[in-house]
Amino acid sequence: MSASDVANEANDTNDADGGIDLETYADVWVFVEVHDGDVMAVSWELLEEGKKLTAKTGEDLVALVIGEDLDDVAREALERGADRVLVADDPVFEPYRADPYGAQFRAMVEERKPSIVLIGGTHTGRDFAGRVAVPTHAGLTADVTEIDVDDNGLLQARRPAFGGDILATILCKEHRPQMATVRPGVFEPGEPDLDGDWAVADKAVTAVDVVVDESETISEVLERNVGDTADITEADRIVAVGAGIEGNLEPAIDLAEAIGAELAASRAAVDEGWVDGSRQVGQTGKTVRPELYVALGISGAIQHVEGMNKSGTVIAINTDPNAPIFEHADYGIVGDFADVCPRLAETLRERDLTEVMP
Amino acid sequence: MTWTIVVGVKQVPDAKEVGIDPDTGRLDRANAPAVMNPPDRDALEAALSIKDVVDARVVAITMGPPMATPVLEEAVAMGCDDAVLITDRAFAGSDTWPTSLTLASAADTLGADVVVCGEETTDSSTGQVPPGIAAHNGWAQLTYVEDLEPRLDEERLVAVRDVEGGYERVAAELPVVVAVAYGEFDPRPAGLHRKLYAENDFEPIEWTAADLGIEDEVGLGVSPTSVGGMETVDPVDRRGEVVEDVDELANCLQEVIA
Ligand SMILES: Cc1cc2nc3c(=O)[nH]c(=O)nc-3n(C[C@H](O)[C@H](O)[C@H](O)COP(=O)(O)OP(=O)(O)OC[C@H]3O[C@@H](n4cnc5c(N)ncnc54)[C@H](O)[C@@H]3O)c2cc1C
Repeated sequence: MSASDVANEANDTNDADGGIDLETYADVWVFVEVHDGDVMAVSWELLEEGKKLTAKTGEDLVALVIGEDLDDVAREALERGADRVLVADDPVFEPYRADPYGAQFRAMVEERKPSIVLIGGTHTGRDFAGRVAVPTHAGLTADVTEIDVDDNGLLQARRPAFGGDILATILCKEHRPQMATVRPGVFEPGEPDLDGDWAVADKAVTAVDVVVDESETISEVLERNVGDTADITEADRIVAVGAGIEGNLEPAIDLAEAIGAELAASRAAVDEGWVDGSRQVGQTGKTVRPELYVALGISGAIQHVEGMNKSGTVIAINTDPNAPIFEHADYGIVGDFADVCPRLAETLRERDLTEVMP
Repeated sequence: MTWTIVVGVKQVPDAKEVGIDPDTGRLDRANAPAVMNPPDRDALEAALSIKDVVDARVVAITMGPPMATPVLEEAVAMGCDDAVLITDRAFAGSDTWPTSLTLASAADTLGADVVVCGEETTDSSTGQVPPGIAAHNGWAQLTYVEDLEPRLDEERLVAVRDVEGGYERVAAELPVVVAVAYGEFDPRPAGLHRKLYAENDFEPIEWTAADLGIEDEVGLGVSPTSVGGMETVDPVDRRGEVVEDVDELANCLQEVIA
């Protein structure tokens, strides 16, 4: 099939000109991202945010779980406030691949017609969201940082534009579903309600038909190598390293230990392989909100600053007095991090801050 | 078999040259010079690196106004065999849906085996166009790619992908759309002769929406999303104090954590 054939097919079923019946679309769906039994933190952040939307629209909050052996995850989604859970449980979905996920998610959307679909802006979410939005001709807003819904159920998806200078509100007036990928760390997850009567609520879990067959897949995972993923979005204190540390992590770790901080990094440091990508702060990484953010050897590029702007106090250590990071910091010192960090850690240890440490 | 490799490139305002408007104190992008989207350089390098090992023809494509031609010349100077400018007023107001349709149609028309794109653009940063191209054509996709290994005999492309907490190796059947991770491919310099050729003698192929048979499927009208409003974001107020010695810095830290 050629590109335009596929497009025409999509147009026939769901086109602005042909006009779709917006009234037939209802409910807020939240995609729960699971890899090998582990749920990505952003999923619960979105479920909590989804509650606020359904409180306004009066619709159901539906969690969508795709993977293998998902009973525990489905139950946790109920504990965390989903009204219903749709489960696509099959070995074809583990490990993740774009084509089976996209096809399954698309089939569920076409059959059940959700009004709003929220997906975490992770590598996985950003990988397959388009494979749902394109064939269903849905509106997809990428990397959203604020969401709301108006009285008519129209999603207001806000995302930073022009490097974070502007917040653009993106609307999807004539197409459904209204899809958004949402940046991890922006919203707070809620607390699970462990006392609910989930035995009864188990009725709220629906196993959906799996439409994907292994023989039809067009990709194959040859190897997957994944360690523990860190959740820097929960940290109260962060020491972040950039390209300026040139692989010398020791002084940063020393300082982090002295003040009880988590280690994070700029994209440049992640790309060098010094720090894992799950610890990346910024536009294509995570949004963090610690009370203290110490930036070591980070220049202060707009894509980085966007992810740390919610921090309480920002401290910068950089050899270049003209580095933009100083404009985005409360306090800074011009100096070599390898020299400043140990002295700073020692000074703080001497002052014995350990008693006040969590 | 000769692989046809299509590389998507885009012209964007140079983020490094964006000045501060003296009146408003805000970033002034309108007057920034236009350059190639930096992540697309990685895409070009990735495409040319495939050509280093398999028999291939590499074609750069861009959807944009005629004044975007310099990015195609740059691509040809780096080593692309040909380039296509897809330009038409009909595209005005296109969001990612028609944009990826247009690039998908062009890739299909060129008989692409592999489409390579940058991770995202620095001006709109959705990252949704590469998966959109794959979805429109029903092709395989590989995103956040850090390394590529073409397997000619299997007619597959194997990629190392960055995933949360690690990496994975995925094999995809051709045709496949690849989005490379920014910063993972070191773009080769353009040779002097290629540069001279690209600037003086090279003319890109030009296609309109009608040439691709998609004139009714692009532009504002078919774009599912629209901009409802723009708010300027006030920069976070920081003290911007630079202290002289470590003792003083320790005081500042102590203030927060004690
Ligand atoms: C599409 C896209 C998405 C992106 N997403 C992100 C993102 O999510 N997060 C992110 O961080 N970036 C992101 N970037 C990259 C961003 O533009 C910058 O390239 C990156 O943040 C730079 O990292 P850095 O500050 O660590 O390195 P550099 O810019 O190289 O800065 C290094 C700094 O270290 C200082 N230095 C050097 N030696 C020392 C020393 N001994 N002691 C102290 N200081 C020293 C230097 O003065 C310099 O200021 C993105 C870019 C693009 C195009």
